[in-house]
Amino acid sequence: MSVYICSVCGYDYDEAAGDPRHGIAPGTRWEDLPEDWVCPVCGADKSMFERQGGVEAVPAPAPAAAPAAQAPANNDGDAKLMAVMASNLARGSIKQYREEMSGLFTRLADFFESRSVPEGDWQSARGLVDADIAGAYPAAFEAARAAKDRGALRALTWGEKVSKIQTNLMGRWLKEGDAAFEGSDLFVCDACGFIFVGNEAPEICPVCKVPRFKFNRVGRGA
Amino acid sequence: MIAVRNIRLCTKDCLCLYVCPTGATNTENGQIDASKCLDACRACVDACPSGAISKVPMNYPPQQAKQEGTLQALRALLDSKLAQERAADAMLAQAATPAAAQFAKAMKMSLRLVAEDLLRESGYMLPQGQPARDFLKNLPDQDQPGFPVDAAARLKELLP
Repeated sequence: MSVYICSVCGYDYDEAAGDPRHGIAPGTRWEDLPEDWVCPVCGADKSMFERQGGVEAVPAPAPAAAPAAQAPANNDGDAKLMAVMASNLARGSIKQYREEMSGLFTRLADFFESRSVPEGDWQSARGLVDADIAGAYPAAFEAARAAKDRGALRALTWGEKVSKIQTNLMGRWLKEGDAAFEGSDLFVCDACGFIFVGNEAPEICPVCKVPRFKFNRVGRGA
Repeated sequence: MIAVRNIRLCTKDCLCLYVCPTGATNTENGQIDASKCLDACRACVDACPSGAISKVPMNYPPQQAKQEGTLQALRALLDSKLAQERAADAMLAQAATPAAAQFAKAMKMSLRLVAEDLLRESGYMLPQGQPARDFLKNLPDQDQPGFPVDAAARLKELLP
């Protein structure tokens, strides 16, 4: 009997114990878990689990010299970059209780957002997220470790986990469309971006551990 | 330093009202009036039984310097997240059902948060930092219709 650990939230699936609350009997082997079984804590799918004591997940020796995966198309003259710059500074301002400054940065963000050009679809976005997980995150972890930059490591740790959830959810959406999250709301953690599917946000964020009230609910309809 | 109240922790024990020498803590919107708060006073912080008040500085030390290799790696990820958000924008614009719009909105929020975090670790943690000031100095598209001229000017005043 083996134990498999969720690489997003750390939940361990113990084959001996199963997951009775979700209809998985004790003694159910990993291979016999239904393919649509997801982590009962964070919703990650089976592909995000690693066997305990299995091969250590060595950061793939990402071709360090290789240029970052093809610079994605950018037809908006960096408007999206400017929008994110400004929205991040608005967020930084409000954390310091600087309401006026935050509002001004938000107006800049809105302007640049209106100039950004939508482009792509879930397939292309998912391809990029998967490439990030396979290459850009490992390469960035390596660079941050070499620089002993724990702040960057913190952002990468959260970002990689959130990316795993993003690719899982896009996969479900591409497969099931409107039925994918039927009967559930989506909750986005306002600190790290983790997305939870359910009827109530989790007590704490499985990725960054902020309490429930830090989640924003994205409902269906108007 | 100014005192700030975390309204989610405040249990309305009102000790801050009793101890404040200037009345800064007694306001109609739940926020402490920064213009009345005394720089060196922390009477409300010490008196509050629920730990809802803290003093925050008006000036911050500069963010720790980043190494070039780290910056490049974070930038590669950021570019990817920006492209992913553009895709979410396209999916939101084309959303034919409430479910499609819901998913696109949630994805966009999530992608934006990750992108912002990458920027914070790339030197844009503080609005007062030099990278943020340089960003304000070099804003593109200032000649375009809708550019918020007054907002940009006021920000440069606040962050000279």
